[in-house]
Amino acid sequence: MIREDFTKYKLKPAKELRELVSGKDKLLVVSCNKCFKEFVSIAEPEYQEAAEIIKTAGKNISGYIPVDYLCNQYLTEKILNKYKNEIENSGAVLVIACGLGIQTVSQTVNKHVLPGADSVWQNGYHGVTLSAEKCGACGECFLTSTGGICPVVDCSKGLVNGPCGGAKNGKCEVGKHRDCAWELIYNRLEKQGRTKGFIQEAPKLRNYRRNKFKLVDEYVKLIRAKRSEGFYGGLYPVELKELASGLAIEKFPEPDIVVIPLSQHAGLACEALVKKGDKVKKGQKIGETAKSPITAPVHSSVSGEVIEIALKKHPVLPSPALSVVIKSDHKQELDASVKPAGALDSLAKEKIAEIIKDKGIVGMGGAGFPTAVKLKSPKPVDTVLINGCECEPLLNADYRVMLERSAELILGLRLIMKAAGVSKGIIALEDNKPLAAEKLKSLLQGDASITVEVVKTKYPQGAERMLIKRVLKREVPLGGLPLDVGVIVNNVGTAYAVWDAVYNGMPLIRRVLTVSGETVPKKGNFEVLVGTQLKEIVKYCGITLKSDEVLKTGGPMMGVIQPDFEAPVIKGTSGLVVVKKHDIVESGPDCIKCGRCVEICPMELKPTFYVLLAKQGKYAEMENHGVLNCIECGCCDNICAAKSSIVDIVKQAKKLIREKKK
Amino acid sequence: MLITKVKTKEELLPALTGRVLVIPCLGCSQSYFPLEEFNRLKDELKASGANLASEVTFDYMCREDFTERRLEIYREQIEAADTVLVFSCGVGIQTFAGLLPGKKIVSGSDTFYVPGFPGFTPSEHDCEQCGECRMGLTFGICPVTACSKGLLNGQCGGAKDGKCEVDKNMACGWQRIFERMSALKGSDKGLKEGVQVRDYKKSNI
Repeated sequence: MIREDFTKYKLKPAKELRELVSGKDKLLVVSCNKCFKEFVSIAEPEYQEAAEIIKTAGKNISGYIPVDYLCNQYLTEKILNKYKNEIENSGAVLVIACGLGIQTVSQTVNKHVLPGADSVWQNGYHGVTLSAEKCGACGECFLTSTGGICPVVDCSKGLVNGPCGGAKNGKCEVGKHRDCAWELIYNRLEKQGRTKGFIQEAPKLRNYRRNKFKLVDEYVKLIRAKRSEGFYGGLYPVELKELASGLAIEKFPEPDIVVIPLSQHAGLACEALVKKGDKVKKGQKIGETAKSPITAPVHSSVSGEVIEIALKKHPVLPSPALSVVIKSDHKQELDASVKPAGALDSLAKEKIAEIIKDKGIVGMGGAGFPTAVKLKSPKPVDTVLINGCECEPLLNADYRVMLERSAELILGLRLIMKAAGVSKGIIALEDNKPLAAEKLKSLLQGDASITVEVVKTKYPQGAERMLIKRVLKREVPLGGLPLDVGVIVNNVGTAYAVWDAVYNGMPLIRRVLTVSGETVPKKGNFEVLVGTQLKEIVKYCGITLKSDEVLKTGGPMMGVIQPDFEAPVIKGTSGLVVVKKHDIVESGPDCIKCGRCVEICPMELKPTFYVLLAKQGKYAEMENHGVLNCIECGCCDNICAAKSSIVDIVKQAKKLIREKKK
Repeated sequence: MLITKVKTKEELLPALTGRVLVIPCLGCSQSYFPLEEFNRLKDELKASGANLASEVTFDYMCREDFTERRLEIYREQIEAADTVLVFSCGVGIQTFAGLLPGKKIVSGSDTFYVPGFPGFTPSEHDCEQCGECRMGLTFGICPVTACSKGLLNGQCGGAKDGKCEVDKNMACGWQRIFERMSALKGSDKGLKEGVQVRDYKKSNI
């Protein structure tokens, strides 16, 4: 059974506390929110209780700092740093936490640290969740021969070769309330018909030396180093990139019908420039709006006839969006506007920016922010960063573009740099793409203006904030943009699209996306026309979903689940992946407060609170806890031991908070 | 928080009779499962003639209700297997075996103890939850865990150059306490006042 009411420590008795603080004054109290306690309230009662006792002992409390997960050294140091003066001026620091919390504080502050609590032992110690099972972590698992009942911890004497003979009626002689583990073992083995073999087994000796300090110490250091590698938090998901990384970009056949949503970007949706029955050509502008500067026009990806303008399924938006449906005549007649505009050297800065705006180019990593808007930065910008991390598992689209279209990509970057008036360009990619890095480096040899940065693979490296911190050592302020630290970040696909727009005059009507997943028969990296419905790709690639699988657009971590295959590919669709369902258990607690989400949140938030606060409807408090800063990378979802859909909770909260502000 | 290490081929092979179902628990997933070694071991076992008939993945096997649900989903594979080879920590294996008392379970990995509390970050600090915290006397360094002998009343005298005589990779806890006390200009008066005796009953709630 899962227990929810475990508590890791309890306040020391009043008498002991009074003795502890004798001879000390001006006490600064640091308390930890307990993990693994029943999660109903964020406030901790222990402080009030301790404060009473200290006051009646005639001592003063100089301050109180509540901290969540005090044992998280990185975050705790950050918090305590803010209270430098208070700590300096205090007589001693009283910590109400488990032994880990107390030691973390004592290592961080240069003060006498007093323990205000005693830690309490729990079962299920090593598992993530609390359970009735125990594990002594002896380093030489005996469970194979004992039918899965542990003799080391369940036998009060830790005997590994059979019963001591002292049990009576199945109860242990050490404590009559506990069962004799060896009787349990025997009964279970009997059920499995394995008693005979077991008795014949040679005696076992416990090797206490197996639990080596060095092995564990090195492991701890490794994990901690990985955690803070480049930026705090993050994950190392199984990537399975090899499923499709070796497959060259292939042109996906033109469908008979394309559905082109008028909103494929962050910002205001376009208004249709065509009506039902109109003939359109490939590359013709079919949607635009002048009502807001934050928008991007959309173009037809085929030549043919508009058969409908109606609300259609959208791959990202929750409700249907106005879309232009075009029946292709398969003649692929180009619009007159599709013609080369010139070359890098001959085009003026403003002209490039104009082309980028006119050809509907947006961020192709998923968010779809109009590229032209980024170029008109109100703040000084010194660097254009091309994001080639592609940290999502399974996806290879950017990788293939970097490998196969390197020269075009570099030219695209130069065009963006010129349009933004910036002399420094960086292409950043992860070290799991050595071939692409090599190719780009060889093409850029002797060029000081653009550098290729290879960073260690870690999710979510491709998030702008993390990447900027890693590559440029600059910290984007919370709620801020890369522009605030002088950087324009663009996706690999975007840079290629800029090249395509300038050198071919082609608007953003096609993109490379990865179709992958362990059970997908025909995986690949396809150049797909915007507006191609997912069902075409599903059919072409022979995808059939098993009962425990889902189809997502984007990557496995941040992608959007597609319940049916009606939605079309849009400018920001980087992949189509088949992944295992994130199974959510309806029963049981929705948060066990294990703290793993806090440990891995790259934005240094505390997702665990969102689960509790959302349930209580406290959205204002969620905002105080920084919910609007969440980048929805899905790390917390991925690691949640209670299998809560934290990202869904966050998305919902963001929506409600933003609606309220309007 | 734990660390598991896969067992050797020699140790496992005799136990793997009949059709074997392999179950890795990827719950403490991501960084905590020795995936490479696991894959290597499977290849070795197959090469040596073990019939690894199928494989299904669990996560957070230690959570009984998750595991119950997965047993339901993978009922077919489990029923078809003569032996189930589980790669998980001791808590996970016991939970699994407890739900399937009639099945032969082989534990594929050994569990090691890692400092830091369940589920949270592996840590340089450790706490044994002894139930009678003495760190007020020892300046925030725990003698129960930082001293390999868990001595409460001072050093044993066996340390050399600040390293423990039990394991030379480990610093002497009492030397650390002394150094910290000196740095804080603290006093050992409290420690000297009486002999500290551990009350083991306290941790036995």
